[in-house]
Amino acid sequence: MIIKSFPLVTILVLFISAFIMPLIKDGKLVKTISLASMFLGLILSLTTAFYVIKYGKFYYRIGHFSAPMGIEFYIGNIEAVMGILFTFVSLMIIWYSVYSIDREIISSKISLYYLLINILIGSLLGVIFTNDLFNAFVFIEVGTLASCGIIVVKDKKDNIKATLKYLIMSCLGSGLVLMGIAFIYSITGQLNITFIHKELLSVYHQYPRAILISLSLFTVGLGVKSAMFPLHTWLPDAHSSAPSSSSAILSALVLKAFVLLLIKVLYRAFGMDIITEFPVLNIILILGSVGMIMGSVFAIFQRQIKRVIAYSSVAQMGYVFLGIGLGTDLGVAIAVFHMVGHAVTKSALFLAVGAMIEKTGSKELKGLRGIGKEMPATSALFLLGALSMVGIPVLPGFASKWNLALASIEVDKILIIGIILVSSLLNAVYYFPIIINGFFGEENLKDKIYKSKSKPIKELLPIFCLIFAMIYAGFSSGSIINFIKNGIV
Amino acid sequence: MNYLILLPVSLPFLVAVMIPIMKFKERERNFFVGAVIILNLIIVIGIFYALGEGGIHLFKLNEFIDIYFKIDKLGILFTSLVSILWVLTSFYSMEYMKHEGKENKFFAFFIITLGVTVGIGFSGNLFTLYIFYELLTLVTFPLVIHTESKEALESGKKYLAYSFGGATFILLGMILLFSITNNLNFQPHGVVGAVSADNFNLYLGIFISMFIGFGVKAALVPFHSWLPSAMVAPTPVSSLLHAVAVVKSGVFALIRMCYYIFGVDVIKELKGNIYMIVPIIITILLGSFIAIKQENLKKRLAYSTVSQLGYILLGIVLLNKNAFVGALLHLINHAVIKITLFFVVGSIMYTTGKKNISEINGIGRRMPLTMWCFTIASISLIGIPPTNGFVSKWFLAQGGLTAGKIIFPAALLLSAVLTALYLFPVVTEAFFRKGDYENAIIKEPPKKMLIPIVIITIIVVILGLFPNPVIFFIEEIASEVM
Repeated sequence: MIIKSFPLVTILVLFISAFIMPLIKDGKLVKTISLASMFLGLILSLTTAFYVIKYGKFYYRIGHFSAPMGIEFYIGNIEAVMGILFTFVSLMIIWYSVYSIDREIISSKISLYYLLINILIGSLLGVIFTNDLFNAFVFIEVGTLASCGIIVVKDKKDNIKATLKYLIMSCLGSGLVLMGIAFIYSITGQLNITFIHKELLSVYHQYPRAILISLSLFTVGLGVKSAMFPLHTWLPDAHSSAPSSSSAILSALVLKAFVLLLIKVLYRAFGMDIITEFPVLNIILILGSVGMIMGSVFAIFQRQIKRVIAYSSVAQMGYVFLGIGLGTDLGVAIAVFHMVGHAVTKSALFLAVGAMIEKTGSKELKGLRGIGKEMPATSALFLLGALSMVGIPVLPGFASKWNLALASIEVDKILIIGIILVSSLLNAVYYFPIIINGFFGEENLKDKIYKSKSKPIKELLPIFCLIFAMIYAGFSSGSIINFIKNGIV
Repeated sequence: MNYLILLPVSLPFLVAVMIPIMKFKERERNFFVGAVIILNLIIVIGIFYALGEGGIHLFKLNEFIDIYFKIDKLGILFTSLVSILWVLTSFYSMEYMKHEGKENKFFAFFIITLGVTVGIGFSGNLFTLYIFYELLTLVTFPLVIHTESKEALESGKKYLAYSFGGATFILLGMILLFSITNNLNFQPHGVVGAVSADNFNLYLGIFISMFIGFGVKAALVPFHSWLPSAMVAPTPVSSLLHAVAVVKSGVFALIRMCYYIFGVDVIKELKGNIYMIVPIIITILLGSFIAIKQENLKKRLAYSTVSQLGYILLGIVLLNKNAFVGALLHLINHAVIKITLFFVVGSIMYTTGKKNISEINGIGRRMPLTMWCFTIASISLIGIPPTNGFVSKWFLAQGGLTAGKIIFPAALLLSAVLTALYLFPVVTEAFFRKGDYENAIIKEPPKKMLIPIVIITIIVVILGLFPNPVIFFIEEIASEVM
């Protein structure tokens, strides 16, 4: 079937279109190409997903060389969902950036910016689809460099500092991943995840230490890249200094791809039988819970709105790690669902905040007082996103918290419910003041003119679509989680 | 046909959206708001006669995420009470809000709150109730901080913090409960089956956690302090918060939780009610004691509410029929009495700008009719026969005796004395003290404020003289759950 090649075609379309961009000087044309390629990617991902729903998961051999020699893509339910998520969210973000990017970076860099975005999304999709660890590593490296690029493209002092920090941490992370791969390769002689798993099952008794080392290398290496709690230090700087559309991509998508790879390594390459013999899941669980609390606590003390949202990402990634650490199918399914919910919500929040910063010229929380009167539509969208983060029922944030709580009861870890509840209260502590000061207060609203800074509707449409997707994800949380769960077994 | 249930819940939302869009003139808007709220009342009552007891699953994903509306007698009792008082309050606020300003915003949220409160009344399971309960906090917040002064914002934050803290306890209980029962629908006698030794503590924990969670909105001491702070809100909002919308939603949710989720037998087995009796008795007495010391009229009434809510909570946890009837009766009676008291205080503020008890000497000469209404309501709240307050306290005392402890009737009597101590001074100051208004000509508040006050006072009197229809209705509910 030709559809089986669609994941590869998506990546190729993104890469090839990326390399056309520098040849074109016209900024508008570059934007159109980027949008069109991403749109095509979304269509292809949707088709793939329908194929997966109808015929089930499939492997795709690249260049007709069969595994273990050739590289293989594996498309299951999770990958199909993620494919749609990544292409959809990045399409919306690019759509938004079309209007706003000229105000954030100089015009000569625009074609470079879109080139980097296309490469970044392509490589992230590669990380998700691939069934080959070394191939995944290559995509990780491409992705790392591209994501550094979209931060530093703004060319300010802060950006360069943040990028260096990010680059160093990130390279450290990918170095660890590479070493992890090396350890596995030395035991099994394989790089294909399916084959590694088969091989490991027969040999893992002989190499408990090597497996422990490689497990920890993967966890820490991918943990750095996906901002697992004590390894998150690069994130606030990077996310807050980048242009808004970059922050949205970094927070919504880049973190997620690496977590997904971690899930693949843990649950598919090693498999439940092996990882339950090591304490790695419990460590992930604990780090996830600590991240949920500490991320929020840090967020409370921030003065700049983008840093608040960046720290909130640390907390939200904690939920994902918590789900992974539970070590059940349901836990992993919720982790993936939370990635979906968080990706749409957080990108909408970053874009909305980007619009606010652009119009008011202030990054500080103080400067955004009374914003609800000046930019009612944008603030309303922000409000909806924040409500999901806080966990108001039916929105996806609530759905994942609820299901995580149920999943933790299932494995007799009732304490975790307390952590989840405390963390959602903490979320309220930093999101509500932004909203309250935005919409209410005599002093806050003084001298503010109604709709004086509002953006045109067409520029808000992408945020609106993201929020709509968020509400949809909340309402159909049950069926999405079921679909993902069916893919794990 | 069952989709009709959604109408009184969704109509207010639609209307609230229309208010800012349509750019009404003041008269048009008042007419529109009044008409819609009356229409909503008619629909609520009409639904009950047309559908009887029906239900509708609006949207069901799995056992848990199930938005389910159901009509039963308890829900109808609550929603009709809400709708009737909302009509009167809306006319009152059309006049009152003139001096507070920002009327469009006020009425938009005012109407949404009606929809949300009706939603609480019609919820058919705990999850739906929880959603509306959270929404209630969010939509009443703008009403509480209406003046948007710094003080108001602070109080608003306190209100949010208490409410969300409480909601977290509810959520904790709900998650644990759902993991055991897999069913959160409201059924008489509850959905919790038998309690066994190994999950006894868990059930007890769930019960207490949820009781405290809902108790926050029902102003259970020590979680009551948001209520007096929320007095910065405009008077119609305070009266509604107290009389029906917020605190009574808390009480209503507690009734749902105790009698329709856990069931009387299970709670008796858990002895969960015993743990709650101490804070409730403290609530009754402490509220009254603090009220005596309050100089500000609205604050005095606020603490009075705390104390009176204690009566209702006591009726709920005594778990016998008389007490239950007393609790529901007092829910209604306190609602109508307290709204009268607030309306009168509001009209004093509106016409003279006075807020404190020491400033209203002799005001009875200026507004005799209004102050007479206040007097009647005070007498009713104290519980002197033949007023409605007497009827509900009678049932509560009976319930207390059935439970076999003399302390309950004793606490009720003591609190009644205290009630007299904090309400009668207002009456005597108004009528018998010589003061600023001694020679004032009679100048009642504007008609739109006076007429609702008089109507509710008449309702108070009627409920005292002819309580039987209501008692019969409540006894039917009681026999369902006992």
